[in-house]
Amino acid sequence: MTNTVVIGAGLSGLVAAIRLARGGHTVTLLTKGLGGLQLSQGTIDVLGYAPERVDAPVDATSSLPATHPYKVLGPAAITAGIAYVQELLGDRLVGNADRNVLLPTAVGALRPTCLVPPSMTAGVVTGGIRYVLVGFRQLKDFYPKLCAGNLERQTTPAGDQITARGVILDLPAIEDMADSSALAYARALDDPSYRTKLAAILKPMLEDGEVVGLPAIIGHRDPGAHRHLEQLLEHAVFEVPLPPPGVPGIRLNEALTALAKDAGVRIVAGAKVVGFESAGGKIVSVGQATAGRIRQYAADAFVYAPGGFESGALTMDSYGTVTETIFGLPLHGLGPDLVTAGDPGNQALFRVGVGVDSSMRVVDPAGHAPYSNLYAAGGILAGAIRWTEKSGEGIALASAVVAADSILKGA
Amino acid sequence: MRSLDVDVVVIGGGSTGVGVVRDVAMRGYKAVLVDRVDLAQGTSGRFHGLLHSGGRYVVSDPNSARECAEENVIITRIQANAVETTGGLFVTGPDDDPEFGDKFLAGAAANGVAATEIAVAEALKREPRLNPGIKRAVSVHDGSVDGWQLVWTAAQSAKEYGAQILTYHKVTSIERDGDTVSAVMCHDAKTGEDVKIGCHFVLNCAGAWAGEIAGMAGCHDVQVVPGRGIMVAMNHRLVNSVVNRMIYPSDGDIIVPVHTVCIIGTTDVKAPDPDHLPIPHDEVQQMFDAGEVLVPGFRKARALHVWAGARPLVKDSRVGAGDTRHMSRGMSVLDHSERDGLKGLLTISGGKLTTYRLMAEHIVNAMEEQLGTPHPCRTADEVCPSGTTKDATYVPENYHVTHRLHDREHDRMHDQILCECELLSRRMFTDKLAELPNASLDDLRRQLRLGMGPCQGGFCTARAAGVAHEVGTVDTERATGLLRLFLEHRWLGLWPILYGDQVRQTALDNWIFSGTLDVEHLPEGAEVV
Amino acid sequence: MMFEPDSHEHDLLNRASLDHCVKCTICETQCPVAAVTPLFSGPKYVGPQAERFRHGESVDHSLDYCSSCGICTHVCPQGVHIAELNSVARAAMKADHMPLRDQLISRTTFMGMAMTPVAPIANAVLKFKPARIAVEKVVGIHRDAAMPKAHTQTLVGWLRGRTAPKAGSRGKLIFFHGCAQNYFEVETGIKTIEVLEHLGFEVIVPKQGCCGLPLQSNGIFDTARSWVRKLVAQLREAPQDLPIISCSTSCGGMLKHEANEILGVKDADLLEVGGRMRDICEFLLEMYDNGELDTSGWLPNQLTIPYHAPCQLRGQNIGTPAVQLMELVPGITVVESGAYCCGIAGTYGLKKEKYDVAMKVGKPVFDKVVAVNEGVAACDSETCRWQIEQATSVPTVHPIAFIHQAMGLSRLPVKTGS
Repeated sequence: MTNTVVIGAGLSGLVAAIRLARGGHTVTLLTKGLGGLQLSQGTIDVLGYAPERVDAPVDATSSLPATHPYKVLGPAAITAGIAYVQELLGDRLVGNADRNVLLPTAVGALRPTCLVPPSMTAGVVTGGIRYVLVGFRQLKDFYPKLCAGNLERQTTPAGDQITARGVILDLPAIEDMADSSALAYARALDDPSYRTKLAAILKPMLEDGEVVGLPAIIGHRDPGAHRHLEQLLEHAVFEVPLPPPGVPGIRLNEALTALAKDAGVRIVAGAKVVGFESAGGKIVSVGQATAGRIRQYAADAFVYAPGGFESGALTMDSYGTVTETIFGLPLHGLGPDLVTAGDPGNQALFRVGVGVDSSMRVVDPAGHAPYSNLYAAGGILAGAIRWTEKSGEGIALASAVVAADSILKGA
Repeated sequence: MRSLDVDVVVIGGGSTGVGVVRDVAMRGYKAVLVDRVDLAQGTSGRFHGLLHSGGRYVVSDPNSARECAEENVIITRIQANAVETTGGLFVTGPDDDPEFGDKFLAGAAANGVAATEIAVAEALKREPRLNPGIKRAVSVHDGSVDGWQLVWTAAQSAKEYGAQILTYHKVTSIERDGDTVSAVMCHDAKTGEDVKIGCHFVLNCAGAWAGEIAGMAGCHDVQVVPGRGIMVAMNHRLVNSVVNRMIYPSDGDIIVPVHTVCIIGTTDVKAPDPDHLPIPHDEVQQMFDAGEVLVPGFRKARALHVWAGARPLVKDSRVGAGDTRHMSRGMSVLDHSERDGLKGLLTISGGKLTTYRLMAEHIVNAMEEQLGTPHPCRTADEVCPSGTTKDATYVPENYHVTHRLHDREHDRMHDQILCECELLSRRMFTDKLAELPNASLDDLRRQLRLGMGPCQGGFCTARAAGVAHEVGTVDTERATGLLRLFLEHRWLGLWPILYGDQVRQTALDNWIFSGTLDVEHLPEGAEVV
Repeated sequence: MMFEPDSHEHDLLNRASLDHCVKCTICETQCPVAAVTPLFSGPKYVGPQAERFRHGESVDHSLDYCSSCGICTHVCPQGVHIAELNSVARAAMKADHMPLRDQLISRTTFMGMAMTPVAPIANAVLKFKPARIAVEKVVGIHRDAAMPKAHTQTLVGWLRGRTAPKAGSRGKLIFFHGCAQNYFEVETGIKTIEVLEHLGFEVIVPKQGCCGLPLQSNGIFDTARSWVRKLVAQLREAPQDLPIISCSTSCGGMLKHEANEILGVKDADLLEVGGRMRDICEFLLEMYDNGELDTSGWLPNQLTIPYHAPCQLRGQNIGTPAVQLMELVPGITVVESGAYCCGIAGTYGLKKEKYDVAMKVGKPVFDKVVAVNEGVAACDSETCRWQIEQATSVPTVHPIAFIHQAMGLSRLPVKTGS
């Protein structure tokens, strides 16, 4: 029985673990946290800007620099990654790898993405769309009038004006609480009687033909919440992603985690991997800092999917030295002036990461693999600034599938 | 063009300027204060947060030491809620000369600075993060002060005596009628209007820019030598009292707890232009090294924000032009009637924040000498309004770090917390916004601490812009502009000290603003001042 | 570290960890208490956020609603010691006015010792409503809260009374029974020992006292420290190269990490005892992974078992070994509760002002147990078992019971499917 260890419970870690387990491997997944999906907006980005807005994401990857992970992966792998997540999540995701859609953000920008949950499809920007954005006095992360105001200052890609207005409801998620998170609202919206109460207040405020934009709170665990709400309101309804807690991301995370457990992946959460043992050019085991001791997990192959700087797998100390914190791997993208004045979203630091060959095996800048059984996937990969490009999920999926397949084939 | 007529115009809204306009107004003059930007954006908002016990100067500048000791007590009383009575320590570092401690104690005794030597073990018990290798420790009455609270409460007091406080009014010229000052011309940056302020006295309290202002009145070569220093705020209070190195004053030898952070500083480099204060990489590293001496593990703690301020130092022929630290920080009053033949203009330079009230007293006395209308100075006697309550029986308390935690405990069920890091409620925000509807988010930040905690605006910026829009104070274009400008400004103080945890924070904040909100693709915002 | 161990400066490591908080909200989304009551402002708020506003004292009394389940620390991706920060802040807050009740329910050994000789009477009193109401009014333990049932014979008594088995072929190990297994749930301890002996181990049971966990969770730190040190010394009377096996999750966790992380005890002895501590399911599953556990003779049991992983098990970061272990028995299907906390959280759920919150916290667990059970449920922690049984009336046992059964050691079946 082949043993594989996956480090990281983000999108790439979970998908790699599922693919490996379904392929017959014994998989142990080690993670400190719940995974980055917990904070994500719940859509699958492939490529949104390069740097101009992209319509056909897979095609557009050809214009990227050679150091970009998409160039290492190639269009077939990107398409395979997207297809795999659609296979795994079924009708939880809607969309087409060949075409981006535009959705309003919470402050009223028009943001391209590729696959979206069904609870967001009604919000896709099209000619003649008329939005009514709905906020809640007790939810401080969504201001519908500001959102509507900015939407109205923009046109659709075809050049049509966008019509939008905002209304605010005085409806707490929890009685007498003035300050509730999006998740508190989502839990409230799991209750059909709360949905009925909401609809009773909102419906009279709606105009014919309007599409109703709520913040991303339409149910946490009740998959029927969105459809029920549409029925009650007799209007199309969509949800707008918010800053964390990202409820649509949480839903995806829970779904994928359940799939991993069902596939037999053994998940050991709560502690960091702090060390490893190697011999003969291979990783033999990794050590997780459980309570009281470091426990070694041995395996034949390892998928390293810990995330990038946001998760702490990559770190820069007070002297400016950048390190990969578990294996001390050689990094790509290093150089002077990694952090400068200018745009915080576009710092060279955030392109630093681990490099891989086309099988996702970790390699140094000269192309040599320090360990023959160590593969990397997701946010740890060098060469992309995912939040600006809107490329995080696509990179995670493609690299996870390739890494898993490389191990399954015994590459 | 707008016109006003007053007796006195005070130029400069730092601690000196507000101290002066308060004293002027309390003595019965009709006064107005102008500053080209917000109050305390010069030196007073960029200092260390230290309300000196005087200890720092007992050996190097005994005169200053004595004045600090006395004024510290006054400020702690009259502007109680701006001051935290943290207490302070002077410690001999492991490689410092322990004999300096004797000079220190002698100097303190000779100049009325309360200083008591305590056992090292006691100092470590009081400040557990202190370097266990320290060799001596002396306890003093240092406190910490919020420069903006200090300045705004003094300004509020001045307003209660009839003064006008005009921020974002840039002086464009100082007019004269014959040999006497007659008016100050300004440009209002928020509205775009020009303003003419008729007056017969101008008090130039423009600090590092005093030379520029004097030049606008035709009085040239006023030699102010800005001494630039950087300071780094660390994410939490590594120490809860002020900790000084017991050595001849040097770089990075003080850590001050201010509100929820602690601030290490500082350096001292001559800066030719007070509007261009770089933050050199090697000075940042120097501050981290200095921090390690006082608090081992400093470089593993989280650096939150960095800034540079310029000390306004008067040129003194006894000290070389390059080394600004040991120039006199005493104040000097330049009477332009003697120097330049222009009556009704005084320029004050030098000084430190702790003695601002005393400086103000001197300059207003000098003004009255020229006018021949002396009045007693009562600024030490009267308590400044705290800004938090209108109840006349309320006796303001000194700031305590738990205040906001206590307040939110009582109102969090019926009010929202907009800035969670700094426990700023929605009500606090909307009240201040109503007072200052033209404010930028930075103007509000200075008085409210919005965005000054670990997430550096990551979660609260969009909320603040959203609330301002929702209550109708700003339109969509301005809300968008406010949001963008705030984020731009935050980055200025982040990138030079970015490491460790703050890199993770920046990545998460980028995921929010760029990834989820796609702020960079919003339509153009309004130009915000 | 540069401070004196055992003084309040020990919280500096926890305090320093607040720097890692990037306000991501993940802890808040997982906190079982914040999910059910606005009285608790959430772990991010009372932990790394409020700590920046503290200087020794805590002014935010809502922090007392924290149940110390530790899930926040467990899920925090950045490594903030959230639960530990909260525990220390709470201890500081209560230092001046520790309720008598908290003193009493923290002293499990005394309760056990007092109750055992008169067990049937004690149990009757605990079930007698008027008496419980009186206790609630005087002492503050909720009238309906799950209180343990005392046995007439302790585990130590059982060990003394039996003929010691022959020494096995697999070597020795040490058994740490914890107060609950000695006084209240003797069967679990007996079954654990029998399983280990059946596998060929010689089980050494040194004299041992209380680990101090209930004292710690109620903020009585000084006494907790002296008790845990005494226990460490007792365990080290046995040979010091042997694994120490525990079937009490929370007590094992206390020795593995909580005494160090919350009480700040840094003695080398504690750290090395903690390094040898293994939960029984963790131990057996590791044997299985190493090819040392032969399950070929195990009796099948067609049974679906709802299983709840206690919060204090999750905090040990060993995954959920009981799930994989129980599923080694042919026919057993384990259904996880899907929730983090049953509400008892040690002694939290006993308190009258916390009882309602605790029952809301545990509701998802109770609902799952009721929906899925075929007559029995499983959980590694004794206090959780009492809570689940009280709320659902479903008999709840330690997972070891099913292994004991599968090995053919049970005189009476725990529960088998038909």
